[in-house]
Amino acid sequence: MSGQTGLRAWFDDYLTAFNRADFAGFGAFYHDDVIFAGQAAQVTGRGAILEFYRTVRTYLHEKVEILTFLGAPDESRIIAELKTSLVAVQDWPEMPTGAMEKGGVRESVNFAIYDISDRRFTRIRTANFSRSSGARR
Amino acid sequence: MTAEDRFRDYIAAFNAGEWDRLVEFYAPDVRLVIGSGRALVGRQAIVDFYSEVKAQARRTIEVLACLSEGNVLAAELESEFLALRDIPDFAVRPMNEGDRYYINSLAFYDFAGDQFTRIRAATMVREYRPRPE
Repeated sequence: MSGQTGLRAWFDDYLTAFNRADFAGFGAFYHDDVIFAGQAAQVTGRGAILEFYRTVRTYLHEKVEILTFLGAPDESRIIAELKTSLVAVQDWPEMPTGAMEKGGVRESVNFAIYDISDRRFTRIRTANFSRSSGARR
Repeated sequence: MTAEDRFRDYIAAFNAGEWDRLVEFYAPDVRLVIGSGRALVGRQAIVDFYSEVKAQARRTIEVLACLSEGNVLAAELESEFLALRDIPDFAVRPMNEGDRYYINSLAFYDFAGDQFTRIRAATMVREYRPRPE
């Protein structure tokens, strides 16, 4: 596979690992020195990202779905529209994007741009497009 | 002409403030959601909004990245507003003459034929840059 089709399959694999909290699996997609500028954290390095997500996963179940995907033919970049669904598994009063209580749900649509080198993310940046919160389950 | 070429023409028309040329890029019922979340529906609403901005501030947009497939185009944009006068009610925040406001954003453009039907933008970085003393 090559170009957009191959990149989409590769990105699908990344999100599959991410959504099942397979840290070794999705961590393998990051360059050692990846720059991550997300909605809830700005960190540098694979280890720092994984540490951040290990904290996140103690409080939240997180699922990311692709709504729109565009990949560069030279595989250097992805721009995607992503839907993120969060369910709090315990209270997180200090949550960076706003406190959540156990059972609370939050959905957001975010635009993200991924810079890629040798099939590793070197930089990830996101922008929030919309956000909605639900009642406790 | 590719979608990317057409998009760069659109940005050139935008930067030049060529409204007559600009509206040709929009479908009549185009829906634009700008980075602040405000929605503008229809060509005239967009032209009215940006005409007001243009009267208050000089805005330049630079395309940093652009990808397209099918009927969708996505872009990373860098944009700067330079206040031409004091603007206490400017769209993003009060500005004094000479102040600058920088925005780094991602945007998705849906199109049919040669016209945009939906445009959605979200902001990654915002920086207020006051005029140096």
